Amino acid sequence: MKNSDVNLSRRNLVAKAGLGAAAAVATATLPKPAKAEATDRTVQYAMVIDTRRCVGCHACSVACKAEFDVPLGETRSWVEYIEKGEYPNVSRQFLPRLCNQCSDPPCVRVCPTGATYKRKEDGIVVVDADICIGCKYCMQACPYDARFINPRTGTADKCDFCLHRVSQGIAPACVNTCQGRARIFGDMNDPDSEVAKLIATEPVTVLRQEMGTKPNVYYIAADHTDDGDARFQHQYLRVDTHRRAKERR
Amino acid sequence: MLNRRNFLKIGAATPIVVGGVALSNAKQLSVYSGKDFSPATGLERIAIPSACWQCVTRCPNISYVEDGRLVKIEGQPASIRTHGVMCAKGQGGVNQYTDPDRVLYPMRRIGKRGEGKWKRVSWDEALSEITGRLKKLRDDGTPEKFMFHYGRMKASHSKLIKSAFLGTYGTGTIGNHTSICEGAKWVAQELTWGGHYDNWDFDNTNYVLNFGSNVFEAGTNHIPTSHRLIARMADKRIRVVTFDVRLSNTAAKSDEWVPIIPGTDRAVVLAMCNVIMSEGLYKGEGEAFLEFCKVTPGASATLEEKVTALKAHLKDYTPEWAETVSGVPAAKTAEIARDFATVKPACVISYRGAVANHHGADTERAIQMLAAITGNVDNPGGRCKAVGPKWKYPKGPKNKPKSRKLKILDGLPGAAKLPNHHVSHQVLQMIKDGSAGRPDVYMWYCYTPVYANGQVQENIDILKDETLVPFSVCVNPFYDESAALADIILPDTPYTERWTWEDMVSPAQIPEYYIRQPVVKPLGECRDFADVCIEMADRMGFPLGIKSHEEFVKQSCEMTPDVKKAGGFEYMKANGVYHDPEAKPRYFSYRKALPPEKYLAETVVKDPATGVYWDWKKAKLASAQEALEKGYVATKKSYKAYVGQEINGVVYSGFKPDKVNKSGYFEIYSEIMEAKDLPAMPSWTPIPEYEAKKPDDLILTTYKVAEQIHSRSANCKFLSEIFHDNPAWINPKTAKEKGIDEGDSIKVNSSFGEIVIKARVTPVVVPGTIAIAHHCGHWEYGRYASGEVAPKAAGSPGGDERDSARIWWNGERGVHPNWIIGNVADPISGQLRWMDTVVSVTKA
Amino acid sequence: MNEVFWGLPVISYLFLAGVGAGAYTVSASVLLRGGGGGFGHKHFQIARYGALLAPLPMMIGTGLIIFELGTFTAAFENGDFWLLFRWIRLFLTITMSPMSIGSWVLAVCILASLVYAYTFLSPDAKPGDDKSSLRLAMAWVGVPLGIAVAIYTGVMLGAMPSRPFWNSPVLVLLFLMSALSGGVAGILLLKAIFDHEPQTDDAGGTEPAGKIDRSSYLLSASDMILIGFELLAVFLFIMFTYLTVGAQKVAISVILPGGSLSMLFWVGVVLIGLLIPAIIELKYVLPTLLHKKVYTIPRRVEMIVALVVLFGGFLLRYVVVIGGQITGPVGI
Ligand SMILES: Nc1nc2c(c(=O)[nH]1)N[C@H]1C(S)=C(S)[C@@H](COP(=O)(O)OP(=O)(O)OC[C@H]3O[C@@H](n4cnc5c(=O)[nH]c(N)nc54)[C@H](O)[C@@H]3O)O[C@H]1N2
Ligand SMILES: Nc1nc2c(c(=O)[nH]1)N[C@H]1C(S)=C(S)[C@@H](COP(=O)(O)OP(=O)(O)OC[C@H]3O[C@@H](n4cnc5c(=O)[nH]c(N)nc54)[C@H](O)[C@@H]3O)O[C@H]1N2
Ligand code: SF4
Ligand code: SF4
Ligand code: SF4
Ligand code: SF4
Ligand code: SF4
Ligand SMILES: [Mo]
Repeated sequence: MKNSDVNLSRRNLVAKAGLGAAAAVATATLPKPAKAEATDRTVQYAMVIDTRRCVGCHACSVACKAEFDVPLGETRSWVEYIEKGEYPNVSRQFLPRLCNQCSDPPCVRVCPTGATYKRKEDGIVVVDADICIGCKYCMQACPYDARFINPRTGTADKCDFCLHRVSQGIAPACVNTCQGRARIFGDMNDPDSEVAKLIATEPVTVLRQEMGTKPNVYYIAADHTDDGDARFQHQYLRVDTHRRAKERR
Repeated sequence: MLNRRNFLKIGAATPIVVGGVALSNAKQLSVYSGKDFSPATGLERIAIPSACWQCVTRCPNISYVEDGRLVKIEGQPASIRTHGVMCAKGQGGVNQYTDPDRVLYPMRRIGKRGEGKWKRVSWDEALSEITGRLKKLRDDGTPEKFMFHYGRMKASHSKLIKSAFLGTYGTGTIGNHTSICEGAKWVAQELTWGGHYDNWDFDNTNYVLNFGSNVFEAGTNHIPTSHRLIARMADKRIRVVTFDVRLSNTAAKSDEWVPIIPGTDRAVVLAMCNVIMSEGLYKGEGEAFLEFCKVTPGASATLEEKVTALKAHLKDYTPEWAETVSGVPAAKTAEIARDFATVKPACVISYRGAVANHHGADTERAIQMLAAITGNVDNPGGRCKAVGPKWKYPKGPKNKPKSRKLKILDGLPGAAKLPNHHVSHQVLQMIKDGSAGRPDVYMWYCYTPVYANGQVQENIDILKDETLVPFSVCVNPFYDESAALADIILPDTPYTERWTWEDMVSPAQIPEYYIRQPVVKPLGECRDFADVCIEMADRMGFPLGIKSHEEFVKQSCEMTPDVKKAGGFEYMKANGVYHDPEAKPRYFSYRKALPPEKYLAETVVKDPATGVYWDWKKAKLASAQEALEKGYVATKKSYKAYVGQEINGVVYSGFKPDKVNKSGYFEIYSEIMEAKDLPAMPSWTPIPEYEAKKPDDLILTTYKVAEQIHSRSANCKFLSEIFHDNPAWINPKTAKEKGIDEGDSIKVNSSFGEIVIKARVTPVVVPGTIAIAHHCGHWEYGRYASGEVAPKAAGSPGGDERDSARIWWNGERGVHPNWIIGNVADPISGQLRWMDTVVSVTKA
Repeated sequence: MNEVFWGLPVISYLFLAGVGAGAYTVSASVLLRGGGGGFGHKHFQIARYGALLAPLPMMIGTGLIIFELGTFTAAFENGDFWLLFRWIRLFLTITMSPMSIGSWVLAVCILASLVYAYTFLSPDAKPGDDKSSLRLAMAWVGVPLGIAVAIYTGVMLGAMPSRPFWNSPVLVLLFLMSALSGGVAGILLLKAIFDHEPQTDDAGGTEPAGKIDRSSYLLSASDMILIGFELLAVFLFIMFTYLTVGAQKVAISVILPGGSLSMLFWVGVVLIGLLIPAIIELKYVLPTLLHKKVYTIPRRVEMIVALVVLFGGFLLRYVVVIGGQITGPVGI
């Protein structure tokens, strides 16, 4: 289909996309057919990041930048390196970061215009760029530095779990590219989903749990070391954020 | 028009239809769908299967187009090499297309060479001038005075440009970049098992021992191997041990990082072999494989003789001895040797860290020996002979002249004894030297002689000098440091805008056929250089009989049986990749017993000295008699006539030679080496510069990072945003001795020059060394790389300029280490010794 | 260094809104305390200064904040000038966000203060004139509105666990005290500038109209007390955070000795902005308070005190706003 068709209704749009896919090249992996009965269970999308499988390659960071043409200086997704120890007992751990799509999101709570909200349908926290005034209050409130002002629109922006893909039945761009398959995505309210199973069976953690945000990005084997710990342990520690903000916030 | 609000509102609220089925929840999310949508409009993007050419790996990809612009690249889910995943550099490929500093029109310099003043010329004008000169050289009978120097030119580009165009033109003065890359590795493999590209069968291995390969960040088959390794590590918890001079990401992910003094891996490998032989750990698979190994002079030996020979050779290479050379604790070496020999199958891997140094080729030979005596050669889970597709293609004119070449490709006299892949980093020095003649026309393609080699200043000086290089042509989509010194720049298309059939090897041990196709129309007047070559041949009056590169690819698709069977060109255009779904992975290729009709054929004789069966006709000899008289080894290029190897009475396909006249054995003992006064068996040879090194001198090594591809990717804004600075890593202990603190400016001096660079004091590097990443310190290559906007021929439209003002890493662009690395060669292979430069370091 | 999302515009805004709201509250209190006519001419004059002052800083501050909006900057970058008016969105809805509530409160406060100022506008304005009842009504709403504005700035910052430096209830108290003291200082300044009558008072005697400056005394004295409360708030602010564990303790260290804002805070805010004016005021107020001496203060001193208090108030906002942003949660 041509992507310059502009007057399609949304329904048409997705329906057409569907037909396109049916006729698509044999290489495309088509989603399995859904069960017939519709569920009224709510969906909460979640991501599990298995750092054991992460090689710190930054494919996710760049995939995300390209997917949205994120302006230089800003990041929806980034990978931190945590380097510590004394020679020769040293380590480097990788911590991919993105918006946690919190279940109790302070960014939503503080937004004065309602531009930021958590979608009931799938639990994704989104920013409506047509409403946002760019006051940056949400940026102050997010304990994960996940937000930025998109200089092109002047409005708040951040990872939206690739809503435009997910709503079409395909996984986020960063999940697609991840060579370690360290990023696993799905509906955590669906007990059969891989994310739900991983969360149930693996010792998962979330970032800054004490912030009370109830993140929906879970980590397996994340390294939670920070400056304070390192100072206390008299250890060398270097955290590289690989973004414009050189300090982790 | 859908606005954002509507989009957000409608989004997933209603059941979504994908592939004609309604989806009600998340379960059906497809990770590798081969589809993408615009985040702004929600409309589907057009998907075009093509292939990456950011790095040498050349992964198949899917490129997405919106409003006629390339907007996104993903992995190709149907690829057995990549399984649909992709690296950061591949993702960053979108920036190659939108780079606002692209060269879009042919440009000719005005003013002095290197002054940076250009005017736009038409293709006709540019090609008239170039072919005018080339034709004259050819007509004068001196085609060799046209030197063509290429870097990453592969597959159909190589066939069309090198074989067809240059072959028909008649010059043999063709340089490559293998010696600055991995030449030592190839030479070593040619000496041991013939041919090159080892594949590491991570899918099936249970142990990985790594010498100087940064699998997770680099590697010539990067994504195909790295995603397999991490999967195996995570799923099977296999053990991975990495020897590196610094904590690469690979070392960091390994179960164990063993720090090692640069350039000394061979000592450790020899000591491991010593442990394995002396403790009898070779028994079993290793012992069995020894049947196929040559360990002694002569055609054959018993197992006992072989074992004795190995033990005797390795006797003095004890772990304790290795510790004195490499700094690796003896106990550690012994422990790893025992593990490696016991866990089956195990895979020993190696890359430039192990070989880009003095006698690096011998290190690779030692590593081959280690694989051999543990029986981990070409077996499932071991170190395998790589498998790639075999394309058939049009060869161009039948009657090609015998090519003539200037003897400037193999380095300064005495530089290397087995420069099978040339000594390309000394080409400019040879031009300066002049004793072997000088090219009149120096043209380079996919290559940057200035930036990618050592001794940058000298490269600049020579290229600038019109008495040494009278006329130079750079073929490039971008304005790099070398383009700045050309007389004419021909705008090539980046890989996103051209045709190629591709052939990189497959770690699945099953060949994968794939093509690259233009994703978007070439910008400006950019043209695929292969098409330009076709036109140049026409202009010079020797048409290649090939209409275009597209046509070449098309014909190749129809000529290649596997591809033809699949549906030929149309199939490849629609799907991008093909592999035979019935194919089984290939292992033990050497163990195939030849059917008698093969080796008893009329033109085949057995060489008594080596046990090799060879075809005297193919060797261009007159008779069997002549063949027997001359002997296999002494006949020029007899390796091309190899048929099989007799081993204990059976004629096997064996380890087929390539480039050198070796036997069909896996040669641990090499008479070819011996004949050149080099160690016949892998051996330790002291490094002269280390012997002369002052106590407080350091050793400089260099490395690649996951987010950049040597010289060519710093123009990708998304990549340079992540990696743009390369402070020198220095261990706290060493730094303290020199009074260097984190962030200090330091002077690094070698016998080739001095750089001033920032220090990063970190325990993740071996004391006594400093490690400086490649890729940084550009002074051209556009705004994202260097901050310098590339000069434009007047009136050319810009690319995507929106981000130019947002570059935030000005002033943090690092320093290129190659200013102070010498264009010195491994005396065996000619490989540039990137990893063992002796330097003195002081606080600036 | 962490990136600072809210810079000088927001800092100035917080300061100016505080001064304006403070002035409104103080003016209204003074007016109401005197039953609309107060303790005579001087008090009315003071209320008048406050009333005329109040809307200005609030409006300027609010105007400034527009410069900090991302939409404002982007309007120029991509030439979409509609973006300049995007802030109107704030008033198309009301949410539980402190900024949303605060914006409404501020808007109402500005409007009320404008009406209030209007009642004082005529040079002939005096207690009991024809605008009296409107004036009184506006004074009645002014007290809670002014306080609400002062408080909301503190709530807005204090509401976020992600900003441990701000995340303290004491911040509200601190901002309230500082706003009131800023209001007083603003009034004192205006008075010192425009009021050329001698600054004397026989302390508690009858009031020979026009001669005695009991109002000035009242202002200085209350300012002194406000500063006292502010010092207390500073103390509590530091202790509460210092005595906890984790992020807040780390965050507060930016203003403790060795911290990057330490000098600015202790010398600028505490010493210059609080202690020095308090001591000066003490010097003039004490004799009156203890010995019922006639209250006199040179105009120039009064001016300096007012300026110094205002300066301290600005620095306080500066240190708090920056301090909150260069610190953050600890751990990961
Ligand atoms: N990201 C990325 N990938 C690439 C490329 C790229 O530029 N960028 N280039 C491609 C090309 S052309 C090539 S040839 C390959 C190269 O792939 P690799 O050879 O794997 O990569 P290098 O970084 O050249 O070197 C590997 C490692 O050797 C280490 N090393 C240095 N000296 C020594 C030593 O003496 N002993 C040991 N044991 N280790 C040492 C370095 O620290 C480094 O981690 O990568 C290919 N893939
Ligand atoms: N210090 C240090 N130096 C190194 C290395 C290292 O690890 N450390 N690695 C070495 C290795 S392994 C290698 S292989 C070499 C690589 O050295 P090169 O082959 O020279 O490097 P490339 O990055 O492939 O790019 C060369 C030039 O090709 C141009 N180019 C990019 N795309 C295209 C295209 O589509 N068409 C054309 N015509 N030109 C294009 C760019 O201008 C770029 O400058 O570098 C070597 N140099
Ligand atoms: S991570 Fe930050 S931006 Fe994302 S939902 Fe949570 S609070 Fe909001
Ligand atoms: S910047 Fe936009 S999304 Fe964030 S709080 Fe302000 S209005 Fe809401
Ligand atoms: S889910 Fe999408 S938006 Fe979020 S980090 Fe991944 S690619 Fe970026
Ligand atoms: S793409 Fe995957 S493996 Fe690479 S850094 Fe991101 S999460 Fe880690
Ligand atoms: S490994 Fe190389 S070829 Fe493959 S995606 Fe990455 S850059 Fe492209
Ligand atoms: Mo290379």
